[in-house]
Amino acid sequence: MAYNQDLSFVYFGPTKIIFGNGSSTSELDSEVSAMGCSRAVVVTDPGIIKAGLLDKITKSLGGKCVGVFSDVPQDSGLDVIDRAAAFAREKGADIIISVGGGSAIDTAKGMCILLTEGGSLADFEGIQQLTRLQTPHIVIPTTAGTGSEVTWIAVVYDKSKGQKRLIVETYNAPRVAILDPTLTAKLPPLLTASTGMDALTHAVEAISDVDHEPIADALGLHAIRLLNKYLPTCIKNGSDLTARGQVQIAATMAGWAFGNSMVGLVHAMAHSIGAVAHVPHGVANGILLPHCMEFNLPDAEDYYAEIAQAMGVYEKGSTTKQAAETAVKAVFDFSKKIGHPQKLSEFGVTEEDIIKAADMSMSDGAIVCNVRLVEDSSEVLAIYRKAL
Amino acid sequence: MTAYNAFTQEWMDAWKEKINSSKEYKEIAKEWEGSVSITVNADPSRNLPETVYMFTDYWHGDALEFLICDAAKAQTAKFIMTGDYARWKQVAKKELDPTKALMQGKLKLKGDLTYVVRMVKTINKVVDLLTEVETIFPDGD
Repeated sequence: MAYNQDLSFVYFGPTKIIFGNGSSTSELDSEVSAMGCSRAVVVTDPGIIKAGLLDKITKSLGGKCVGVFSDVPQDSGLDVIDRAAAFAREKGADIIISVGGGSAIDTAKGMCILLTEGGSLADFEGIQQLTRLQTPHIVIPTTAGTGSEVTWIAVVYDKSKGQKRLIVETYNAPRVAILDPTLTAKLPPLLTASTGMDALTHAVEAISDVDHEPIADALGLHAIRLLNKYLPTCIKNGSDLTARGQVQIAATMAGWAFGNSMVGLVHAMAHSIGAVAHVPHGVANGILLPHCMEFNLPDAEDYYAEIAQAMGVYEKGSTTKQAAETAVKAVFDFSKKIGHPQKLSEFGVTEEDIIKAADMSMSDGAIVCNVRLVEDSSEVLAIYRKAL
Repeated sequence: MTAYNAFTQEWMDAWKEKINSSKEYKEIAKEWEGSVSITVNADPSRNLPETVYMFTDYWHGDALEFLICDAAKAQTAKFIMTGDYARWKQVAKKELDPTKALMQGKLKLKGDLTYVVRMVKTINKVVDLLTEVETIFPDGD
């Protein structure tokens, strides 16, 4: 990976990581106390309760758990966050604990802002507006993909615009993330595959974005190595806690990588098709990733050649271009190998949806960081068509 | 070339003139509608004793009102950008990319981010034209 003398970046990664089997119950109470907090509201979704993952966690908090908000949908929105914050305010919460995937975590991030600043999340339209630390937030991910446990970015649905909105606030990074592989052991293969492809997308985009830098590159490349090695094992044998743990670590590393280098075209398109046709975020990323890599290839050869090395497909003597092409093929193959969906149409997406989503992608914050300049929506539409 | 003191009305007039005489800007910005205020936080240690508020307004490729204003007027803009003097100086000298500065929290933006993203070329051009104005900064150079 080449860097020039003009390299200039800020790396920010303030979240404390606790890793280990059972850590979600053995460590949580101490972490809450360590921050001087005593009134925790837990944010989750109905699926987590149904899967029986929440009880032990809330019990481990004893009297410090003052309420559970479990009404988080697949794509959380401004209205959900306003309601959740009102609930937490009523309970006198001084800390938020999110248990779940990206939607629960991002709902909690929005709540933290409202608990500190007041008002409605609709009032916080913009970027990096906050000037002080927000309400403490501990994240317990139950999937391995989002990376949101270590980023200060939240993605929430804005019903009034019919579009997903990015909330980027460095003062709102989670204080602690507890990675407990046992919580992911029962994830079904499809969800394991799609969240894993989400993590792979974070890593690939972070490495190749316009603002990529050496620390994020290192995190992204190692995340790719871990995903390449352990994600197929998680699909075959979900109860392999070694593999589950390594994939969780990969997702977190990729989260740090993209939190600093940002994401690109894949995310702009996944956010948009998610808003238009409700395709789950991880699935959309996983389907679109190799197609966007093909599009980016002319401007990303150096980066993708590194990915070929990380995925173990680099052939000695290859040119950079050949290695980069091999990486794109390897991502297509990997996606198939783990049983990930290949087409958006499998999720009911239509030609009409992709026309709308292509236009919407041009105003998604992620697109400005993409390695290849996207001139207009016809280029985006052409990629959607390949993935339809 | 005439040099102007930064954050004065004359400096803003020169910037507006650069924008309005740019054919490239007219083409890029033909869909932009609305105002942007810029708040430069006071930094007495760098000879900027008071916070400066600027109001700039644009419509379909033309620069309209360009004013040094008060805080109340700045708050009426469609987009409100805020930052420390040292950061704005870096932007004006083309040492800091405004998009990167926003993502890194070096500048703050209040307003519809999706609109800004769609119009990012317009914003970059406005900043490029500012860097063409010969500027004397409060702390020299």
